[in-house]
Amino acid sequence: MKNTCYYQVQDDEVEIFNYCVEHNLPALIKGPTGCGKTRFIEYMAQQLDRPIITISCHDDLSSADLIGRHLISADGTYWQDGPLTKAVREGGICYLDEIIEARKDTTVVLHSLSDHRRELHIERTGEVIQAHKDFILVVSYNPAYQNVMKGLKPSTRQRFVGMSFTYPKAEMEAEILEHEAKIDAELAQSLVKLANDIRKLTDIDLKAAVSTRLLIYAAKLIGSGCEISKACKHCIIEPLTDEPETQQALERVVNAYF
Amino acid sequence: MEEVVGKLWDKWLTKQVSTEYADASVELADIQSQLIVFYRAMGGDASKTIELAEPRKLQIKRSALQKIAGSHQYFMLCWQDARSIRLPPYVAHFADKKLNENLYFWLVALAAHQEPINDWLVDNQAATIKIIARYPGLKRIYLSLSQTFLANRPTVNGLTPQEQKAEKQIRYALTVPGAITCAVKNKYAALPVPLWLYPPRSMPAMVKSKEGDEQKGKGKRRLKDIKEIEQRKQVEFVDDERKTDGLLVFQAEALETWTEQVNLDRCQSEDDDTDDVDTIAKDLDIITLSRHRKAKSASIRFNLDLPAEENDDLRLGEGILLPEWNFKQQRLVKDKCQLQTMLADNVKPVELTDKQRHISCEITRRFASLGLIQSKRKAQPSGSEIDLDAWLDDYTQPVKSSSKQNYFIDNTQHYRDVSCLILADISLSTEAYINQEQRVIDVIIDSLMVFSQGLNQLSDELAIYGFSSVRSQHVRYHIYKNFNMQFDSHVRGRIARIEPGYYTRIGAAIRQSSKILSKQGSTNKVMLIITDGRPNDLDQYEGRYGLEDTRQAVIEAKNLGLIPYCVTIDKKAHDYLPFLFGQNGFSVVDDAAQLPLILPKIYINLTKH
Repeated sequence: MKNTCYYQVQDDEVEIFNYCVEHNLPALIKGPTGCGKTRFIEYMAQQLDRPIITISCHDDLSSADLIGRHLISADGTYWQDGPLTKAVREGGICYLDEIIEARKDTTVVLHSLSDHRRELHIERTGEVIQAHKDFILVVSYNPAYQNVMKGLKPSTRQRFVGMSFTYPKAEMEAEILEHEAKIDAELAQSLVKLANDIRKLTDIDLKAAVSTRLLIYAAKLIGSGCEISKACKHCIIEPLTDEPETQQALERVVNAYF
Repeated sequence: MEEVVGKLWDKWLTKQVSTEYADASVELADIQSQLIVFYRAMGGDASKTIELAEPRKLQIKRSALQKIAGSHQYFMLCWQDARSIRLPPYVAHFADKKLNENLYFWLVALAAHQEPINDWLVDNQAATIKIIARYPGLKRIYLSLSQTFLANRPTVNGLTPQEQKAEKQIRYALTVPGAITCAVKNKYAALPVPLWLYPPRSMPAMVKSKEGDEQKGKGKRRLKDIKEIEQRKQVEFVDDERKTDGLLVFQAEALETWTEQVNLDRCQSEDDDTDDVDTIAKDLDIITLSRHRKAKSASIRFNLDLPAEENDDLRLGEGILLPEWNFKQQRLVKDKCQLQTMLADNVKPVELTDKQRHISCEITRRFASLGLIQSKRKAQPSGSEIDLDAWLDDYTQPVKSSSKQNYFIDNTQHYRDVSCLILADISLSTEAYINQEQRVIDVIIDSLMVFSQGLNQLSDELAIYGFSSVRSQHVRYHIYKNFNMQFDSHVRGRIARIEPGYYTRIGAAIRQSSKILSKQGSTNKVMLIITDGRPNDLDQYEGRYGLEDTRQAVIEAKNLGLIPYCVTIDKKAHDYLPFLFGQNGFSVVDDAAQLPLILPKIYINLTKH
């Protein structure tokens, strides 16, 4: 398992995260989709040699889904820890992905865990668990998807150390592509230039920017012999837009490079 | 007989001198929406649009046959300025259609990479070098275009040594971009190079805005006709230096064509030229405009004068000061606009017409399935499903309360919790006719009537406002229904009384609407903007200034958590609306007459999630 996760350090994120770990402070990671937030957490878990428990948040996520619930067995009922409780008891990085997708009343259970108390109250069993010394809470969200309906309460936000992620700089992104998809440097650079051109259309002709993740997909397909224009069409253009005219224009941009 | 022979002769001659491949022609209209996205991706200014280039006169050395045919005097040249890129309406330079299409994309890429032109020959080469160094794909396209173009271009035979030198320079510059650093001077202009951009016209004023004024004044012109003459015309300005009325001192038949400009006072004949003014505009090569326009300005003042207060709607309050975005300074200029809230008083109640009632029934039927949203509430004393979690929780409690048995999931339906503010553009341009019977404003009125009826039954909170403007100090903001008013026949009465007038300062209207809408308690706040064209007003509020201010107002609205959405009937809106509202922030209604039916559909899609 060790040293298998590749992560290209972009700025001082590793340093800041290490400070958080040293002082048991929870971290909040912001950034557009596919820019490497999850990869960063996996990388840090590996560096710190701690397990990682990932919870993908959604509309229907209840506090019971996080903390746990009673279940029925042949002998009656018993308590089953939820993923958050498990991480609090055993230690590790508890990573709540896309936290703003969860309802505000759900995220309130994190409050006592994310301040100096570091304890989890389980209302249903009356238990109060003191967090394991290796427990770290990390939450992430994509600011572009934020709206009035779904936003973090200020009281929740103010319990975290914040870090903003963005798409890597051109040279770094090209290095990531080279490493992840095993393609040559020139092709990687062209793909990154193409991505940066397409990113100029974000919020005007496209709802979201092309992510590093999509670029890696395209690079992987190209690396295994797929035609470049075909790989770009299926890995970059199709996931970005349904508009036929925008798609055709993007194909033209691809053809300008390849 | 004479006419038939003449036509045949003309056809034959035109064919002889034509250097175009009509079969392989590519129309700009077919790929315009792709081109603008491509331009932005190439790094072009997102606020620029694409417009049709006008024929430009180039004095080239013509062959005898070309002189007889009267051809090769005007050319569709590509150029750009701060407002837009001007592209030819069609390209047919190559026998291969693919090459013609590629030429459009090449020109757009060139426009994105070119600084304002100082030296036509040098700057085009510099931009070409920049592009072919960065884009290998475009380099291939350029090579195929330039090679095919040079192979088709007339040779230097028959030219004077000086002309040959100039022509060779161009050929060399196309083959090896960057090789020529200084152009040779020549009596004649070189044959046009369609692969390059040309400098903007020396006279920046264009006919279009003047034409817009006329259209607004005259009202009854069809959109189709306007489109035909929208292709820009060459313009020259003259001043009546004598400051006296002209007198024709020669026989009238000596006036050969329309293109001749004479200082003739036509003040008395303004009534009779309204019908064929479009035809004349289409036929003219050059439209002459005079800065000395005593009679015209009198007519314009007549059109734009604000009504006397007793004939106008009731003004509420002193006016609200609002900021405006100045893109040159990149800042909001405080208190730049004064917005006057107005309310039509003494309105008579109005009921729906039969036609409106018919559409309204259709809309109500569509809205019926939309009215309520389901939500699951757990641990309820009653409900349609058993909540096992709630039962388990209770079962595990050591002390049980017999009175609190909340074991059910309640699938109740709730109201949608939506507030909708409709902001209708009621500027004078909405007086244009879309067909024999209806003006744009008529379909807007119909839409507001039936839509508000449907929305009322849906129990969504609704407010309806209209706006127009005369410069920044008089933005007219009409209340037809605010959020507190009851929806009744008086609201319909106010809508029925809408009269189009003035201009479209949309930024100020959006800002005021955002203020009103953001105070609503609903969870979802939708601002539906209905318009027929781009922002414009009498002062600098047009072109990029108007677009940038509107974009800023939309961003401010989004930051307040509102959902601004634009519905337009302007078919060219794809050029500029993505910049203002984002790709998913607008709809273009192709058939304006269908607006009353389409608007509810748009609203359903917008709010059903």
